[in-house]
Amino acid sequence: MTAAAAGDAAIGAPARARRMRTPNDSPLKILCLAPIVIWYAIFFGLPLVFLLWIGFWRVENYQSIPDVSLQNYQEIFQNWVVKSRYGLAMLQSFWVASTTAAIATVLSFLIALALVFAVPARRQRLALLFVIAPFWSSYVLRLYSWQTILSKNGVLNSMLKAVGLDDWRLEIIYTQIATRVGLVHFLTPVLVVILYVTVINIDRTLIEAARELGASRWQAFTRVILPLSRFGLITAASFALIMGLGDALSGALLGGGAGASVLGKYPLYSAMLMTDYASSTNLPRTSALATILVVAMVAMMALGVWVAERARRRVSE
Amino acid sequence: MTEASDQPDLELLSVTKRFKGFTAVDEVSLKVRRGEFVAIMGPSGCGKTTLLRILAGLETMTTGQLRIRGRDVSDVPVNLRSTRLVWQNYALFPHLDVFENIAFGLTLKPHDKAVVSGRVKAMADLVGMRDFLDRRIGQLSGGQKQRVALARALVTEPEILLLDEPLSALDAHLRLRMQGELRRIQQALGVTFIYVTHNQIEAFSMADRVVVMNAGRIEQVDTPERIYTFPKTHFVARFVGANNLFEGRVSAVDERHTAVACGHGTVTVTNRGATPAVGETVTVVVQADRMRRAAAGGPGENTVPVTLKGREFAGSQNIYLFDGLDGTEIKLVAQESMGSAAVMAVNASMTVHFSPEDASIIGYAGPAAAPAADAPAQAPAAVSAPPVQAPPPVQAPTPEPAGAAP
Repeated sequence: MTAAAAGDAAIGAPARARRMRTPNDSPLKILCLAPIVIWYAIFFGLPLVFLLWIGFWRVENYQSIPDVSLQNYQEIFQNWVVKSRYGLAMLQSFWVASTTAAIATVLSFLIALALVFAVPARRQRLALLFVIAPFWSSYVLRLYSWQTILSKNGVLNSMLKAVGLDDWRLEIIYTQIATRVGLVHFLTPVLVVILYVTVINIDRTLIEAARELGASRWQAFTRVILPLSRFGLITAASFALIMGLGDALSGALLGGGAGASVLGKYPLYSAMLMTDYASSTNLPRTSALATILVVAMVAMMALGVWVAERARRRVSE
Repeated sequence: MTEASDQPDLELLSVTKRFKGFTAVDEVSLKVRRGEFVAIMGPSGCGKTTLLRILAGLETMTTGQLRIRGRDVSDVPVNLRSTRLVWQNYALFPHLDVFENIAFGLTLKPHDKAVVSGRVKAMADLVGMRDFLDRRIGQLSGGQKQRVALARALVTEPEILLLDEPLSALDAHLRLRMQGELRRIQQALGVTFIYVTHNQIEAFSMADRVVVMNAGRIEQVDTPERIYTFPKTHFVARFVGANNLFEGRVSAVDERHTAVACGHGTVTVTNRGATPAVGETVTVVVQADRMRRAAAGGPGENTVPVTLKGREFAGSQNIYLFDGLDGTEIKLVAQESMGSAAVMAVNASMTVHFSPEDASIIGYAGPAAAPAADAPAQAPAAVSAPPVQAPPPVQAPTPEPAGAAP
């Protein structure tokens, strides 16, 4: 203790009455957060506040007037089902997004399982790199590629024709099936990463223990791997659902704006939002429409976090 | 070979496991009687865990055969084996509660819920976890996890229970309690236990027989007492207990004694069965607690001149460290109070003594040094030499060597 005191004195730090700090404790570290905080405040927080605010403005003589009115929301919800069919578009969005999330999650889980259990440990990083490589190409470019593949006289149908299967022509371009194809391709790399991390962190001895207790491979999967992947699966699925709800490009380029699904030929809500923005001068109404989508997405996210947190607590409690 | 009457519960025939570049388990043969508690002991990397994984079916063997109650189970897949493993880190399922963990093995097949519940509760009673059945695994202490792991394995009524260093994660006090518990449960159920550990206290205090392994091979199989008192090989002598080893050359052999010329002078050792030939290089083994520190030895005792290098007081005993004249390190454990030796100075010269009866010779071309340590037939029919490997399945306390009595 005296040695430490002497050392303090030697480096010119007189004994002051202050809280002891650990060597890792720097008052400057909070500053590292400054760039991201400023970035988010200017380019995310501020625009979001504007968006929410403008939703309450009024339009008179093609002029937006700052106000606090619920007129836009009234108009939207009056036309929720009839006329502009915002509600049906929202339903279409939820239907497409949730089925896309389910397909993408299952597909990505299979890929993650294959990566972890079938690829030798030292090749896994490389394999993962290949799986997420599409993520680095432009999303729009990928959608145009899918257009080329899926269109009426596209790559897929040409190939079917070449092998004499003219009767099996795929008519999926400009339907919501094509929308889903684009979305799944977009989402898979991200979901694979989430699920790979989940599966690789499952203690292998638990799987061995299950097998050793008499479980078949399938039982080891359903009773150990699957329940221990729950947190990751729910996280991945809610991520996919939110991305699916917000995406307008796949619906526009592959779904043809108002592609058909089992629900009927309705556009996605996000696509309708884009049309509304592009075709009308009613910016307050567009903002109100966008606010509704933001609220729906936040609600989805909250639900996802809540369910995932429950799954996590069940395991790690 | 296998008569129903004294059929061994577990039989290993030249079990070998080669990985790329090295042999983890090398020609291991062993017979284990039903209801026996066998400890496999050795330093890390000696192949004991690999051997256990082979027994469990988690690892395949390169060559050899594995028999359980006479049935060849070498190629039976892991989930169809009648063995159960208790894991070093317990490997309890974190997403299930205590009841579901214990019931896991029973619920894998079509089952009656009431029957399963009854068996789980009975087993929880046996391991003292009845009041914790609805707890989550994360809420349990190390000792409680250990009990659940034990119950989860035993409730499936395995023919053989395999335990992989199950107590290594527990603190010293709890380890002692669990040792007693394990022994009690083993005796209550009469299940054969194969217990892998690197801790000789655990092995010696629980096991009926101890298998000492080194570099994939069995060095010695015997009762704890005999392994401790009469180690068969250099490795066992160094690995087990606190033994002093004197290298030397046999100078004379008569009816009762063998004289070995060591660095510090001649040592006399009482004969036990087969004796080495004159001129052979051998090692004399003397336990540290059989050495005496005195000005002069008793009649017939061996005397070793030494220099004191250090002393440690361990409660009821003093542990001395000496250097012999030729630099051999010599350890001496004396039951004495702290004060009686307090005056000795480091580097003081003195003499220590031991009786010829407390010494044994290893490392000669007799039974102990037989290189094919796994081949039971290779042990010469020496009168008093205990079976080197694979003792007869009918387990009786190995008789004391004839030469040991004065």
